[in-house]
Amino acid sequence: MTPEQPLLAVHEALRKCFPVVEEQQGLWQSTLRDSQPLLASLSNLAEQLQAAHNLRFGDVPPLRAFPDLKERLRRKQLAAGDTVLDKLGERLATLLKVRDTVSRHVEQVLEIYEQHADSIGIDTVLQASVVSPSVADMLEWLQDIERHYRNSYLKRKYLLSSIQWGDLANIQALPKAWNQISEDEHQSLVQDTLLNVSFFLEE
Amino acid sequence: MAGDVGSSIAKGLSERQSSSSAWTGPGQQAYVIADVNLRNPVANPLGSTTPRKPVLSVSARKIKDNAADWHNLILKWEALNDTGFATANNIANLKTRLWSEDGTELQSSPASGEDVHKTLPEYSKELETLCEELQTTFDALAKIQMKMEKLSSTTKGVCELENYHCGDGRHRPPLFHTWPTAHFYEVSRKLSDMYQKELLLKRTVIEELAHTTDHDLTLSYLSMWLHQPYVETNSKLLLESMLLETGHRAL
Repeated sequence: MTPEQPLLAVHEALRKCFPVVEEQQGLWQSTLRDSQPLLASLSNLAEQLQAAHNLRFGDVPPLRAFPDLKERLRRKQLAAGDTVLDKLGERLATLLKVRDTVSRHVEQVLEIYEQHADSIGIDTVLQASVVSPSVADMLEWLQDIERHYRNSYLKRKYLLSSIQWGDLANIQALPKAWNQISEDEHQSLVQDTLLNVSFFLEE
Repeated sequence: MAGDVGSSIAKGLSERQSSSSAWTGPGQQAYVIADVNLRNPVANPLGSTTPRKPVLSVSARKIKDNAADWHNLILKWEALNDTGFATANNIANLKTRLWSEDGTELQSSPASGEDVHKTLPEYSKELETLCEELQTTFDALAKIQMKMEKLSSTTKGVCELENYHCGDGRHRPPLFHTWPTAHFYEVSRKLSDMYQKELLLKRTVIEELAHTTDHDLTLSYLSMWLHQPYVETNSKLLLESMLLETGHRAL
């Protein structure tokens, strides 16, 4: 084996991994976007539930002809809410898939690196060139990205699992809380990393 | 929405298609019965083992047509419900705007007493137009509901005819797969009743919506219009099972 071969193997693994990240990032972003109208409609449903809850139907003369209306309306509103929750569950499953796909690919790169780490040598690992960041940097970025998906997924899962129809105020605040998660994150992490490796990928 | 209507319902006009079967919603396919299906002996899985002829009897034809009509009427109803909801929403928003322009605080009690009328905003042409629009939608819904009633009564007629012919308790083979004819009437009746009640509620909504100043009540009226509390969740099941039984849906 020539001395360059282990390094080439790691480079090749990196070159395979970043395009996967790019593709998964697209899916992640579009899934987040698609979730927003669903959250808005949940929030809106919570408002409707709250309004009906505040009302005393018996005190509204035109509604007296419908003694079971309040309960029926509530049932229908909750059913509509469940439908939206199911759809949100599907979105969440997509986010989980993105997280797992990225994790799997990053893990593979790290495995390959570990196999060759000794023969490559620490100096080479740290060496960057005009067109290529160092292997160490790229590995670190991949780990950052993987961690980013993990954290973000967990926060969103936690947020959705906190939904209870008994706590309407919480549901009404969902769209804001969902966006807050994105705002708290390093939003351009993946994009910045992909820019940093763009020359390396074209090599 | 019943937008995902299966392609299994035969499309195209049969030469004996009644006009009421031709209801279509905007952008929706009208599903009516093709004669091909009616003549297809496959509609009877028992085939030669039953005394029935391979061609559907007049009663079966009528019931099958009715099932398709039910499907089309409900589609049309749903489309109108959406249209009406958009209008009702506009009415509610416009009212909120008029009230805030008027500098009047929204009242938080659901009372609609005389004192409320004193503070009503100026006559608004726009509001009137929207209310007329909603009324038109309601009238169309009422027409559909009438057709639904008719479907129920023709189904009842088919049952009575059968009773007349088989009054002596002779064995009555089912018209299609398993349902006794009376069951079609039961289902029709249930559906009719749901939509009749729903129509009453909608009438209340259109009468009250523009006169309500209470935020919670306004929102609840909108919610009622949208979610149709009297159209029960099992109405879809009733309709689908009727379509399945009559062969509009593949088994």
